[in-house]
Amino acid sequence: MNEIERYLAKAANKDTVRVGEDITIRVDTVAAHDVTAPMAIHQFADIETDKVFDPNKVMLVLDHVFPAPTVQARKNHCQMAAFAKQYGVRYFGKGEGVIHQLLAEKGNLARGSVLVAADSHTCTAGAYGVLAFGVGSTEAAAAMATGTLDIEVPPVQLIQLDGVLQPGVYAKDIVLYLVGKFGTDGFTDQGIIFAGSWVKNATLAEKMTISNMTIEMGAMLSYFSELDDVGPVALTHRFDVSTFVPVAACPHSPGNVKPLSEVAGTPITQVVVGSCTNGRLSDMRDVAAVFAKARVHPEVTCVVVPASAEVADAMDKEGLTKIIRDAGATVTNPGCGPCYGGHMGLVSSTDTVASTTNRNFSGRMGATDAKVYLVSPRAAAEAAVAGTLVVPGTIMPLEGE
Amino acid sequence: MDKKLIFHGRVWYFGEDVIDTDQILPGYAMTCEREQLKDYALAGSKIPDFAKKVQPGDIIVAGKNFGAGSSREQAPVALQSSGVGAVVAVSFARIFRRNAINIGLPVLYADLIGLVKSGDEITVDFNTGEITLPDGRTVAGQQPGESVRSILAAGGLIPKVRQQLQRKGGEAK
Repeated sequence: MNEIERYLAKAANKDTVRVGEDITIRVDTVAAHDVTAPMAIHQFADIETDKVFDPNKVMLVLDHVFPAPTVQARKNHCQMAAFAKQYGVRYFGKGEGVIHQLLAEKGNLARGSVLVAADSHTCTAGAYGVLAFGVGSTEAAAAMATGTLDIEVPPVQLIQLDGVLQPGVYAKDIVLYLVGKFGTDGFTDQGIIFAGSWVKNATLAEKMTISNMTIEMGAMLSYFSELDDVGPVALTHRFDVSTFVPVAACPHSPGNVKPLSEVAGTPITQVVVGSCTNGRLSDMRDVAAVFAKARVHPEVTCVVVPASAEVADAMDKEGLTKIIRDAGATVTNPGCGPCYGGHMGLVSSTDTVASTTNRNFSGRMGATDAKVYLVSPRAAAEAAVAGTLVVPGTIMPLEGE
Repeated sequence: MDKKLIFHGRVWYFGEDVIDTDQILPGYAMTCEREQLKDYALAGSKIPDFAKKVQPGDIIVAGKNFGAGSSREQAPVALQSSGVGAVVAVSFARIFRRNAINIGLPVLYADLIGLVKSGDEITVDFNTGEITLPDGRTVAGQQPGESVRSILAAGGLIPKVRQQLQRKGGEAK
């Protein structure tokens, strides 16, 4: 068995599992947020049980629409607070941050444990070696009640990343390249194991950025290994990341990936930095390094969203928040921000956006005709200054060059 | 043979384009009341007034990776409550597919690209995976597995889990 299969077997309380087998696994954590939890609570009531499987292992988070921009959003928040109180589950209702970042900071993520969360970017926790399943509200409700999840054992492919990234090329460029190469359904219903010398030396933040976007290739599971031999897999893909270049996912698909040099010069009217993909401290440092010496272009709106209160705190301590604000950007409260078109920075049909988020579907951030380019934080910051897409290093020299 | 798993309806043909979750149910509509979701079904697609025109039992026919992207269950709920009876696509994104089945919205893997057009009436049999076209020809789709058919027959995952827990509770007593 490979590493994913070994942990699945353990969670299913079996000696072995085989690809395609239907298994029931025990769940260590169940989580949902203010878009998915209200529907999960509705479904949970229908199960007619009087308790969740373990209150300490259920997390509810307000992140998508907090503070509430609509009366309905507030009603949803109140409903979640009431549920949390009634069942005694863990509740993050003060804008502590994006669910996936909070799981990393406070979720006790342990290698081989099983996470079920009602959000597609649950795969972010694969960076920690967690078996992290993104599900919908009904499945989350069922998992809250039973503490189990029914799945089929997926075929697993290995992505081996070796080498060292060139200056100006980031984890975001790696994952965008992969989405472009394998397509938005390249790993549908399959597991991916990441390994290799680059992975061994990568930071958790880098691994989270990559793991986060594996759902953009349709993956069921993403798992970052620490081993040299991950066990037998269906297919192995090897990449030397030192050959990688800065890229952008162009409108309107995360799979429409081109070298940034090909789309450089495209006028940009809004820049968004943040999200569960790229809203961490290291991302903010990349952005502040640019904004310390250059201002946001007069015709660009730049919105910077820390992924969590902890990230925001660290930004304050390092003086990054002030640097970013002084450069003419808006630093918002932690959360999902405008990533999914909910609030705090929606765009109109005439806008073209450079964003560090994970999806650029038509209408994702507002108007269906708005164009969104997905890039690394450094590329986003330089675009904010230039007023056009540029290759990192254009506005100012990169460190290490 | 379960007659509840045979669907006859009018086709909405979306061709080969990937229909992602933001087209099925845009982000701005995600927090609205469950009862209002039907008004936003496919509001972000190339047929933005779909919700006004759809008739009960209509069948969506689409290409690859239907439901790509978000885990928002509001997407299949919006389709189901707008009247959509079933979705037939070349392939589905995993979370959308599971969400749809979990709420009792049947989704079937079959390649009908170029074989039907909007307004055609087809019959989809989820017992066998077979689709009958207007001219009587049949197309073989993928027969759903036993677990999928049992969830659909139970009316969704929640009734199934409720029965499971009640059985367990009964045994404990």
